[in-house]
Amino acid sequence: MSSLLEVQGISVTFDGFKAINDLSFEISLPELRAIIGPNGAGKTTFMDIVTGKTRPDEGTVRWGDLGRSLLTKSEAQIAQEGIGRKFQRPTVFEDQTVWDNLRVALKKPRGPVSAIFDRVTETDRTRIADIAAEIGLTDRLSDMASILSHGQKQWLEIGMLLAQDPKLLLVDEPAAGMTSEEREHTTTLLKRLAETHAVVVVEHDMEFVRRLDCRVTVLHEGSVLAEGSLDHVMKDERVIDVYLGR
Amino acid sequence: MQHLLRIAIIVAISLFLTPAAQAQDLSLQDILQDHAEQIADPSRRTVGETLDALVATGHPDLPGFLTRWQSREAYQRDADGFFVYVEDEDADPLVLLDISTGEAIGTAGSREITQLRPNGGVRRVIGGALVQFQLGADDPAIRLEALDAIADDPEESYLPLVEARLEAEEDPAIRARLEVVLPGLIIAFAEDDQTRVDAIRTLDGNVSLDARATLNRILSTRRGVAEALPEEANIAAILEPGSPALSRDDAYDMLVQSDLAPPLISRAEQRDVLAANIVDGRVGGVPVATLNSEEARDTAYAALVDADLAEPIPTSAEVDAALAAHTFFDAYSEPSAAVTRAARTTLDSIESRVGVYRFLDLSLDGISLASIYFLAAIGLAITFGVMGVINMAHGEFIMIGAYTGYVVQTLIADYTLSIAVALPLAFLVTFALGVLMERSVIRWLYHRPLETLLATFGISIALQQIIRQIFGTQARPFTPPDWLAGAVTVNDVISISSIRIAIFILGVIFFVLLWLILNRTRLGLEVRAVTQNPAMAASMGINPDRINMMTFGLGSGIAGVAGVAIGLFAQVTPDMGANYIVQSFMTVVVGGVGNIFGTLIGAGMIGSLQKAIEWLNPTNTLAAQTYMILFVILFIQFRPRGIIALRGRAAGD
Amino acid sequence: MTRNRSVPIFIAILAAFALGVTVMSEAYGTGAISVSFTKVLGMTLCLCLAALAMDLVWGYCGILSLGHFAFFGLGGYGIGMWLMTARTEAVVRANLANQVIPPTEAEVSDATALQIFSVVGGEDWPWMWAASDSLFLSLVLIVLVPGLLALVFGWLAFRSRVTGVYLSILTQAMTLALSLYLFQNDTGLRGNNGLSGLQNIPGAEAIGQDRISIWFFWASAAALGLTYIGAAWLVSGKFGNIVRGIRDDEQRVRFLGYKVEAYKLFVFTLTGMICGIAGALYYPQAGIINPDEIAPIASIYLAVWVAIGGRGRLYGAVIGAAVVSLLSTYFTGGRAPDINLGLFAIEWVDWWPVLLGLGFVLVTLFAPKGLGGLVDYFVRKDRT
Repeated sequence: MSSLLEVQGISVTFDGFKAINDLSFEISLPELRAIIGPNGAGKTTFMDIVTGKTRPDEGTVRWGDLGRSLLTKSEAQIAQEGIGRKFQRPTVFEDQTVWDNLRVALKKPRGPVSAIFDRVTETDRTRIADIAAEIGLTDRLSDMASILSHGQKQWLEIGMLLAQDPKLLLVDEPAAGMTSEEREHTTTLLKRLAETHAVVVVEHDMEFVRRLDCRVTVLHEGSVLAEGSLDHVMKDERVIDVYLGR
Repeated sequence: MQHLLRIAIIVAISLFLTPAAQAQDLSLQDILQDHAEQIADPSRRTVGETLDALVATGHPDLPGFLTRWQSREAYQRDADGFFVYVEDEDADPLVLLDISTGEAIGTAGSREITQLRPNGGVRRVIGGALVQFQLGADDPAIRLEALDAIADDPEESYLPLVEARLEAEEDPAIRARLEVVLPGLIIAFAEDDQTRVDAIRTLDGNVSLDARATLNRILSTRRGVAEALPEEANIAAILEPGSPALSRDDAYDMLVQSDLAPPLISRAEQRDVLAANIVDGRVGGVPVATLNSEEARDTAYAALVDADLAEPIPTSAEVDAALAAHTFFDAYSEPSAAVTRAARTTLDSIESRVGVYRFLDLSLDGISLASIYFLAAIGLAITFGVMGVINMAHGEFIMIGAYTGYVVQTLIADYTLSIAVALPLAFLVTFALGVLMERSVIRWLYHRPLETLLATFGISIALQQIIRQIFGTQARPFTPPDWLAGAVTVNDVISISSIRIAIFILGVIFFVLLWLILNRTRLGLEVRAVTQNPAMAASMGINPDRINMMTFGLGSGIAGVAGVAIGLFAQVTPDMGANYIVQSFMTVVVGGVGNIFGTLIGAGMIGSLQKAIEWLNPTNTLAAQTYMILFVILFIQFRPRGIIALRGRAAGD
Repeated sequence: MTRNRSVPIFIAILAAFALGVTVMSEAYGTGAISVSFTKVLGMTLCLCLAALAMDLVWGYCGILSLGHFAFFGLGGYGIGMWLMTARTEAVVRANLANQVIPPTEAEVSDATALQIFSVVGGEDWPWMWAASDSLFLSLVLIVLVPGLLALVFGWLAFRSRVTGVYLSILTQAMTLALSLYLFQNDTGLRGNNGLSGLQNIPGAEAIGQDRISIWFFWASAAALGLTYIGAAWLVSGKFGNIVRGIRDDEQRVRFLGYKVEAYKLFVFTLTGMICGIAGALYYPQAGIINPDEIAPIASIYLAVWVAIGGRGRLYGAVIGAAVVSLLSTYFTGGRAPDINLGLFAIEWVDWWPVLLGLGFVLVTLFAPKGLGGLVDYFVRKDRT
């Protein structure tokens, strides 16, 4: 089991505020990992750095077996390397059908010219159908994304992530706004994904994290506070202090 | 006008001349009668003596007479030799006036009196004598005028007068002038080169236009060509044909002009020669119809030359030889090398000082342009920078401010008062318009910035057209009061118009005021709260609607006040706002959105940059604007958030 | 795909319109439509073409460019240089033909340059006229010059992630810089005199303006039709999905692995080229081009047409441009009868801009989908 993503000693400062402070993080393939932490702990900024949206002031982000640096790459290049990201708020193309949303996400050449001459092949159809079945939107393929429920949008976004066929999935609060039934489904989905992918789930909801039953990293003030099983970190004094609130 | 002026001068001189004791008793008439013959029929040679004698009396009425005499307005009565003036030289009979009192003393027919008609040489000598009086006048304006006259038409005789005056003069402005005029006279008339060189040296560091003109006159050159460099000439430079200073064509032209080489023949002349030598449809054996190429024409022309029908054209080898055989040079008109050398070093040192002053002047220009940009943009810094509203009608608010000024001025005659009224009124008018616009249009579009752009653009063309309907397309006069119309002049290089200083001050006031409002008042706090998080602000009891309305009104009102200031120096037309809108947006964007300090720096950068580019290419302000905009476009590439950028997540995406 | 349905309908309407105009034209029909009105209609089609490009770049890709009319103008200048050179050269040749000695090529060229540039005190050919004696090169440049400008500008702007209103301001600055540049007398394009006499097609002196006008009308209609088909095809596929995705959520597209900048640049440049073609068809019908045409306000109008027509719909852009520009021509051309209210007469020439300006405001506030939205409304009604 070699490490897929290795983040070492990154720091970033916004106008004097240290959003990330000497943070290190590692994940292997396959693995399911939950990141928890209070507001402002640097969870989103961490994801921004890994996906190339924010450049750290110092530190390294290495990727894959060859340990190539991601810091010089653009967001698009990083995504093409195999890192998929789901945002906190569901972001799907509301003005387009579910089918179109999935089609755009499908792993195919990303250049403008290839996009112009792109034809939907039989493989594409099967793949879209498979993903739709996976996320439970088979009946809604020709509907506009804007009329989906909040949970369905979350799934659609996860579906788009799947269509990208990434190695690493960064999933920000997947369970927000879902019914308990939907949560159940999401948990199963994420656990199944983690059998073949590296999955990082950022979540507030302890119950949800417990169900994921995986290794947990606790962030606080831009650095890692504790790491281990949920039960292990829950016993950590500092975690109890800052996270569980006292 | 000139006549009146002259009389004024005479009166002024008469009043203040120090009369010599013995002249008090004698009337001018008596004195003149002593020299009657000389005055009636003066000669260039003798008039000097007469004048000296007259001047020596120091009679107070003398300058008046001299002036009249010089301008052929004095007469002598034939019957008794009395000198008189006439009231109206076309009247019949003529009314005679006493030369001292100016009172009518009788009438005479035109044949009974003789006009004194001094010739040109004599008049000049009289002028010299007059200058003496004028130089001594108490009114500095007259003294300056005398100096102008001397500088325009220098005479050796002025030299001692000017020298004496310089010692006595106390008025600094006149002293400065004298310090240039005197060396000018010495350089022109002194015999001794060393004296002249010393005079030139005294000009060192003097940046006035007069001083530079004086030196440049010494350094004027004439271009010449000869087989060898003339020995006696004071050579400024030897020119190489084909160098930037002298092109080969020009050099050869000089040879031709001086009959040192045969002329070249242009293509057009060649064609004319060919056309004049058509025989049976052929020229030199070549059919006319085929003469549509240069080769064919050359062939035909060569045939004509062979037949002695045309002048041979010098070959390029011959041209080269001719150029090589001659020397081209610039020679000073001034024969003394020592003098020209001194003039050159002095002028160079002056020019380098002028360069420094020019830079200062340019910086002042830049600052003043920056203040204009800042004034135009500051309202936008609030509506766009703080609130994020793209108001394309911003320029029209400026325009309406300017028109408010114009309207107030038609109602209130006093310019100062009208501006004092116009400034707050313009604020109120545009504030009201801004509030109206915010309430009716913009508040529905806060989440659709691009559509705000379109809607406000619609308002902009509607406002423009409405104003055009009311006031017409012509520019309306909006005149600054006199105390703003002048300029503050430091020296001949540095000067800045008062209105620009006023605009600068207004800009500073605005900046301080707005900074205080935004950072030190409750309103400012609420504005910042609403722009950063309207929902949160609302939950804390701030009414975002009211704040947005007030902020937009404030920004619009400031645009109106800026319009009053801009209207004072720019043309007040319905489309004047369009000239400021793009620059204003650029100013805000370059400076960094969200704080007025950025706008200040943005305006400073754009203003000084544009002036700097104008300095590189002074003839073309359009080009300067073009390059300035290109620079801004490039600048935005490297600092997309402007000079003062908010970083991080707070800046948003 | 549902979006393609508008194509056959649009083409059918355009063809019927072209046929109708032809039947009523002076050259090939009853003469009910005057030559000048034929030109107005042809020019309107060119404006529709520019609006179509604007819709692609703004309505689909979300880039509110205030510079596309500059590309339009560049196309006009491109063809204008050829037209003016060729035409002036013909006149000069005719004049020089009376000379005893036949003129050389150099003489013709010098005299042509003098004729063209004496108005700005010049007599030499500026460098940008180098291709003006070749129709083929000029046609290439009509597409290449706007395309290249769009490419360079877009590359600079997109790579530094300038978006939204900032990009609008930047494009507006570009337009202003270009028009200021053209306004200068010594930059080689005759300053504010612009290029004139463009309606005279060299080599077609014998053919009357009646026929030339209808030919240009056809060419404009064909260009509009072909571009419409091409644009509809482009936006109906995956490319269209991505581009609309960029409009709605640039970040999402980027994290899906697409180089957003490349797509934007593609659309920006392509539409710049389309505008160049539209301008090259427009100005021979207008007869004159000067820097005023390129002023930033023209580009804003273009955006406004698209907004009124309804952005994000190809037919919306065409409807908006056609309706607004034809109404403008009608009201400002002095054709509209004044409304006399006794004391006060409403003169349309004067009040039309006010009406138009307020019209923008109303459309933006109350009909953000524009006139095209109305079409949708009725079409949907028919279906159900």
